[in-house]
Amino acid sequence: MPEGDFPLHALTQRPMAMYHSWGSQNAWLRQIHGVNPLFVSGEIWAEHGFAEGDWAILTSAHGEIRVPVARMDALNGKTVWTWNAIGKRKGAWALSPEAPEANRGFLLNHLIHELLPPRGDGLRWANSDPVTGQAAWYDLRVRIRKAPPGGPDHAEPDFAPIASPVPPAPGTVRHGGRTS
Amino acid sequence: MTALPPPSAKKLGLVIDLDTCVGCHACVVSCKEWNSQSPLGAPLADLDAYGAAPEGTFLNRVHSFEVTREAGPPVVVHFPKSCLHCEDAPCVTVCPTGASYKRAEDGIVLVNEDICIGCGLCAWACPYGAREMDGAERVMKKCTLCVDRIYNETLPEPDRVPACVKSCPAGARHFGDLGDEDSAVSRLVAEREGFALMPDQGTKPVNRYLPPRPRDALPEFDVLAPYLEPVTEGAGGFLGWLDRTLGKI
Ligand code: SF4
Ligand code: SF4
Repeated sequence: MPEGDFPLHALTQRPMAMYHSWGSQNAWLRQIHGVNPLFVSGEIWAEHGFAEGDWAILTSAHGEIRVPVARMDALNGKTVWTWNAIGKRKGAWALSPEAPEANRGFLLNHLIHELLPPRGDGLRWANSDPVTGQAAWYDLRVRIRKAPPGGPDHAEPDFAPIASPVPPAPGTVRHGGRTS
Repeated sequence: MTALPPPSAKKLGLVIDLDTCVGCHACVVSCKEWNSQSPLGAPLADLDAYGAAPEGTFLNRVHSFEVTREAGPPVVVHFPKSCLHCEDAPCVTVCPTGASYKRAEDGIVLVNEDICIGCGLCAWACPYGAREMDGAERVMKKCTLCVDRIYNETLPEPDRVPACVKSCPAGARHFGDLGDEDSAVSRLVAEREGFALMPDQGTKPVNRYLPPRPRDALPEFDVLAPYLEPVTEGAGGFLGWLDRTLGKI
């Protein structure tokens, strides 16, 4: 792929809190990591003249997303990254439609095709590690630009809510309780 | 107003290593899990738990900071924060009911929820922001140093430490007697130049923090580089075949 078109690497990392706490409650974990800006290196930040509160359009060979940005200096100059698995579709996980995860949260999935581009041999190869079959997250290359002002206050693409298979979530959670 | 006991010889507390903490929040979650099941008090509630602005009670939180430096690349520092079990605890002396107290035998600062009226004065008095009013119960919550673990003979001996210490995968949290200068925690503090947080506030915190170690600097030249030049013959055997085959895909 020509580097000029997609000069940056885009990475994701699943929050460590989630690895340590698979068995515990999303009500807690979402207070630890409830929003996920796109972290942009100081170099990219300066080059594009980003300011706090800005939104960016991130484009790969496969697609385009519109996301909130935040500056991070402890980052390779040609890299952007975000927390994986924070963004949720509205209605998912019994979250309220106003939940930050369903509005400002986003995923890089829309930028990644599950197949590699055609190579003229009539076959389409999976865009995954040939040995483990894991999705090729760390191969993602992108370009970035500042989103035009006046856009909506939610990440794009933005899908209609999905119907929840479970009843609406309670407002207040009091996990545990006196055992004596 | 509530009186402090005379200073105890035993000063139980935590030593937290800012060099090795990786910011995973395992301590945050295990703390909330243990203390929500505790017979000592009400569970730690979460308001608007699945809504637009969830707000829950935590006795231990981790704040992450990015530090940009004149010399060397920027670094991220994770800073876990819970009650420091101060010797001159202002949250105790300010309490109108005696609910907030410091134990004479080991220095642990606790709240007796049955007589706490939820006035919130103690949270205002604490310079570290270590106390949190429970949104559902309207009583004050704080780190108990897992007093119901550390002396709990129904637990196996290795588990008689605070939940956060037990769960930290980085070994960044240490528990012990900081009043005994020969204890493992006191020796660790001496060795690593551990420090008290905001000593100017005059509360004499018991907990100590260990500073991040200096980072490695880039060497001026790389003595190994010549050995890392690509080898022209390529790998042989099975690995060579695998490499060539995968290269074609
Ligand atoms: S909130 Fe409770 S513990 Fe704190 S000062 Fe008021 S009565 Fe005392
Ligand atoms: S569990 Fe340990 S490494 Fe993880 S955030 Fe807490 S102190 Fe840091």
